[in-house]
Amino acid sequence: MKFVPERLEVAVGDRITWTNRDFVPHSVTAKERGIESGDLTQGKSWTWVARKPGEIQYICRLHPVMRGMLVVK
Amino acid sequence: MNRKFVFAIALIAPALAFAQGKPTDPQIAHIVVTANQIDIDAGKLAKSHSKNKEVQAFAQQMITDHTAVNKQAGALAKKLGVKPEDNDTSKALKKGAEENVANLKKLKGAQFDKAYVDHEVTYHQQVLDAIDKVLVPSAQNAELKGLIEKVRPAIQTHLDHAKHVQADLGKK
Repeated sequence: MKFVPERLEVAVGDRITWTNRDFVPHSVTAKERGIESGDLTQGKSWTWVARKPGEIQYICRLHPVMRGMLVVK
Repeated sequence: MNRKFVFAIALIAPALAFAQGKPTDPQIAHIVVTANQIDIDAGKLAKSHSKNKEVQAFAQQMITDHTAVNKQAGALAKKLGVKPEDNDTSKALKKGAEENVANLKKLKGAQFDKAYVDHEVTYHQQVLDAIDKVLVPSAQNAELKGLIEKVRPAIQTHLDHAKHVQADLGKK
């Protein structure tokens, strides 16, 4: 299981939507940035708006070995 | 701008003593369901016995994910009109699971955590081997084969997670 793509570059103001294409629940979580999608079941989406530049490493809280990187420019 | 991330796929199957010969599709369906149920049961035991938060979180993940796979497998079997058929591999899996549970029930605290997680590492490695060497090559129905292939990344993730927990327990 993984985030696809695992690394994504976006600009400040972009809206990023994660969609769970898997049949087990996942989350988008970066505690220190206050990012928490909650549990996303199959087919559910969650959108987050990038407000500040920076590199954000996030995980799936349910499967902490799933890691993604968001670069906000 | 709207960018889409997707979570790639997930989930399951069995272990150990794979009987001689290729299993049939009804037997594969039974093996998949059995292998999932075994890990759900082990997860429930770990959730009630362990006091370690990391172990508990891992156990909950096993319960959630393997339950989701079995739901998917059950729906597919129904759709295809496949009636899961008991077989030697399923029986061997159940026997191994009973022995594991009997062993775990004798243990407490850190000893329980270690034994549970060690077994999860071994079990998921065996399941991966079974997927690659037996289940996928044997499955005749394309949708059944597809389900098993979709499950594989989750098993890999579970294995990686179990190894991570195992390493953390080793530090204590």
